[in-house]
Amino acid sequence: MSYITGPEIVKYACTCGLLKPLPELYFCRHCSQIRCSFCLCHAVDSFFCGKCSENIPSAEARHKKNRCANCVICPSCQQELSTRVASKGPINPDDAKSAVKKSYYLSCHFCHWTSRDVGIPDQPSATGCWPERENVHINRLQEVLDVYQDIMLSQQQQKENSKKKRGKFVSYTDRTGVTASALRRRIGIPDIPHAKIKKPKPLDPAIAKSEVEELPEDIFTEPLKLMEITTIDQRLMQPESQPLTVDKLFPIHKQLTIKRSLRCRTCEHNVCKPEYNPTSVKFKIQLFAYYYIPEIRFVTVEPLRAGQTSELIIKFTNPTQHQTTITIFDLDLEEQEKYVEEQKLFDIIDNFEQAMSLEEKQQLSLPSLVMSSGSQPSSMYSLQSRQPSVIVKPRKINQAVNCNVAIPESTFILPPRDDAAEYDDSSDVHNIEDDPKLVKWRKSNKAFIKLAVTPAADLKIDDEVVCGFTMQHIYTNVIPAIVENMPHKYDHKVRVFFRLGKIVGSE
Amino acid sequence: MELQDINYSKNDYVETASGNKVCRQTVLCGSQNIILQGKVIVQAEAIIRGDLANVRTGRYCIISKEAVLRPPYKKFSKGVAFFKLSIGDHVFIGERTLVNATDIGNYVHIGKNCVIGRRCVLRDCCVIEDNTVLAPETVVPAFTRYGGSPGAYISHVPECQADLMVDYTRSYYQHFQPTKLI
Amino acid sequence: MSTYQSLSSEKLTVVLDIGSAFTRFGFTTDFAPRYIIRSEVRCKKTNKLRKICDYDSADDLYDMLVELIHIIYFKYALISPKDRPIVIVESLLCPTLFRETLAKVLFLQYEVSSILVLPSHLVALASLANDTGLVVDVGYKEAVVIPVCHGLPILQAWQALPLGGEHIHSHLKSLLSSSNTGIQNLPENFLEDIKVRCCFVTKSSRVEQLEGGKPEYAPPPDVVYPYAGTESILVTGKVREKTFEILYEEDNDHLCLSTMILDAILKVNMDLRQKLAENLVLIGGTVMTLGFKARLKEELQKQLNNDRYKVLNIHEFKFHTLPCKENYAAWLGGAIYGATEFLSMKAISKDFYLREKHLPDWINLKDINNTVSRTL
Repeated sequence: MSYITGPEIVKYACTCGLLKPLPELYFCRHCSQIRCSFCLCHAVDSFFCGKCSENIPSAEARHKKNRCANCVICPSCQQELSTRVASKGPINPDDAKSAVKKSYYLSCHFCHWTSRDVGIPDQPSATGCWPERENVHINRLQEVLDVYQDIMLSQQQQKENSKKKRGKFVSYTDRTGVTASALRRRIGIPDIPHAKIKKPKPLDPAIAKSEVEELPEDIFTEPLKLMEITTIDQRLMQPESQPLTVDKLFPIHKQLTIKRSLRCRTCEHNVCKPEYNPTSVKFKIQLFAYYYIPEIRFVTVEPLRAGQTSELIIKFTNPTQHQTTITIFDLDLEEQEKYVEEQKLFDIIDNFEQAMSLEEKQQLSLPSLVMSSGSQPSSMYSLQSRQPSVIVKPRKINQAVNCNVAIPESTFILPPRDDAAEYDDSSDVHNIEDDPKLVKWRKSNKAFIKLAVTPAADLKIDDEVVCGFTMQHIYTNVIPAIVENMPHKYDHKVRVFFRLGKIVGSE
Repeated sequence: MELQDINYSKNDYVETASGNKVCRQTVLCGSQNIILQGKVIVQAEAIIRGDLANVRTGRYCIISKEAVLRPPYKKFSKGVAFFKLSIGDHVFIGERTLVNATDIGNYVHIGKNCVIGRRCVLRDCCVIEDNTVLAPETVVPAFTRYGGSPGAYISHVPECQADLMVDYTRSYYQHFQPTKLI
Repeated sequence: MSTYQSLSSEKLTVVLDIGSAFTRFGFTTDFAPRYIIRSEVRCKKTNKLRKICDYDSADDLYDMLVELIHIIYFKYALISPKDRPIVIVESLLCPTLFRETLAKVLFLQYEVSSILVLPSHLVALASLANDTGLVVDVGYKEAVVIPVCHGLPILQAWQALPLGGEHIHSHLKSLLSSSNTGIQNLPENFLEDIKVRCCFVTKSSRVEQLEGGKPEYAPPPDVVYPYAGTESILVTGKVREKTFEILYEEDNDHLCLSTMILDAILKVNMDLRQKLAENLVLIGGTVMTLGFKARLKEELQKQLNNDRYKVLNIHEFKFHTLPCKENYAAWLGGAIYGATEFLSMKAISKDFYLREKHLPDWINLKDINNTVSRTL
């Protein structure tokens, strides 16, 4: 289970040049390229609370400052707080029907902090309208902000006005007829913008004082009660108040979490889109590399000695429903480097073109723009709010290889995955002729492969041995819409790296 | 990394008709309340407290050595009540881990030496790292990795966790073979 | 009011202030950051936390910033960064490599629509509604003093010294290891916690007593600080008192925190000096320490007797009290600026960046010429 716990021995190279284990990679079916979280565009899909697993619409999430309205966490240790029934209030002995009065308080099961510690009164309802601390400066800050907003607004309008005036001819008519502002000027009423620019009301600036907060005298004599002073993490959990002592810690509403969707930057198709339900682990779109690229697992290797050949056994698994043929090639990092350089070159050209087109656009007036768009309705422009993505530049693979892999001459076949075979213990029915030098053993869609590896002769004891090769497999494209006019099957290559372990001493 | 065969002595384990492999050196209290759905491995010195409440596991669960499954309780004014403990399919529970959860989803991986506090809920496809202490009543959302003491969010789990766990628990079961007598 | 505002503003704009120790993040309509998190990311290779400011190369920094911004957007902000503006508050002395890399990350990796870069010293005055002030920023890596006059930072008067949290931590570390035997490599988080919870800035009269070894000096009570589970560390009263003294110990050039401020005043026009001295604004996490302001005032008064500063002819210093906590004062200024039309007027758009390939900067002659020609 090296994917979850253990060391990552086998890593695949993403198209962008980063090395990642297979489960962290994605495979865009439309570009037939491997992608990873680094070179994909992330987007927020839906909000939910991790504790109560409730979906929260985005407007509400925004309103609640991305926090759950019901769940609160401990200000002391940041664990989830639970509501406890405090007491059954006084039952009126005269009236048997009088409801039992319950009150609730919050308590942390981990550090035993309770809402009573800080003097929050017990609440009558379980969901609690826990009191929140208000920012004491809010009125002043709002005032400041309003004034600044007015100033900037008036500046912007002035700027626009001066722009208008700069024109040689003051256009009195618009396409819609006489403009309101022109009319106003005719009649002699001041122009609307001027009317709107109310002079920003002057704000009295803050006044500095020469008196400052003095160090409390008792700090030199009173012993420090460490348990009553908050740690920096506790303070920063409440940025507004940043309490210095623990009696001012207030429960914090739990931060929401999101489900994210991932999108390929090249073709703008989604590669991962989760289901809406927070507890569901299913996906609407799931183009994970684990489902498309043959998985390679490390099985064993003979003790590695510098300059001596050892036998490496790895296991290949075909995850797809189609038979594939695997060929092993040399790693050829230079080719990758060349590819990176090429992409850079493309980029320069692109940018040049982009800059050109931008200038053109600026020169073009609106009507010609509509003309140039041809049959496209002009409203398309406003609809296309989604800008095309910027593609992440590939980079050089940053992994040195210090071990040679003898490239086998023959190829081997991996039969399709057959879920029924898992329940069927009878022997395989595939009659595949294998090169006995290469294939050690096979079962259903898996094959154990022998490779000869030779660590470089100059390695010292305890040096990490890394080897790699390029795996080519036949990828069968199954997008129904384009099956007819696209190549059905093609070769896909991926570079794979192995951390084989350390050099051991001679016997 | 491919799993190696794990051999056990045939005398130590009981294999049921549904494929459960249960070690004889385990403590199964109240066995009438314990349901193992099939192909479940319970290793040596594991303790399952069925006497407190029902314990139910899904298929292909692995309960490692010295793990303790103990249904959670809740205090009420009149006393204590125990709740049943249910575990989904394809769940791995590491060595010397104490599980007090109410609900463990499918495809969950729990490491070694963990304490899963009372009435925790572990949603599908989450991972608990080794040596984690989850505070009582913690909810671990799907596709998250928790670790540390107190247990807290560490990172995201790859989306194909479900398939990884299916593959892992199945191959674990397949490699869990009695020692062949020569 | 806030309900209406947050619902009506369709575009939430993130305001980000990446400091060397802490990153403050929030939205423009708020008056406090949503979160203050450590500027650290988990290194993929070693699985240890690394500070953003400890980068080795541009690529390394790029990767770390990608990680940090990802955490900020997808763990805390919970919005997609694509096609949204962002406000960045940064120091005027921010290294070019850092700001260029940050711009690259934001524009190319996260595809923000525009970036508004604001100088932290200037915007820190926004919440005071003041346009003149001497802004003293004591952060983690360094203390930077920049006077701001009538809304313009006087750059030629800047002063910076590596006096900040990092320096204090290393000082505390050596103090602690000398008073506790066998304790050497205390982790920085731990030191920070001791500093924050136990230490304070003492009065100058007590420092004289302490250093002179006078008999009337009585150290404050010791603190036993739990460490590594069962062990504990003794934080003596002297250590508690002495930790922050490093800020006022003059170095070989006779510079310390108080001289920095006075030097900055010395460098500006004579007419402005009095006004600056009466408008001191302290920002940054370190200034929140108990007794910091009181001591700074004492030290400034003391330095005035120095011949070097007699020419200033200043008799009194006045300090502003910010309507927020000092450690996010610059962030708050950014949030106020970002909430106005300033954002749409002055932000650097993606198109501009793709064309120019760099952020305009005051240090770059080309940009200055451009703005000059534009204003003409």
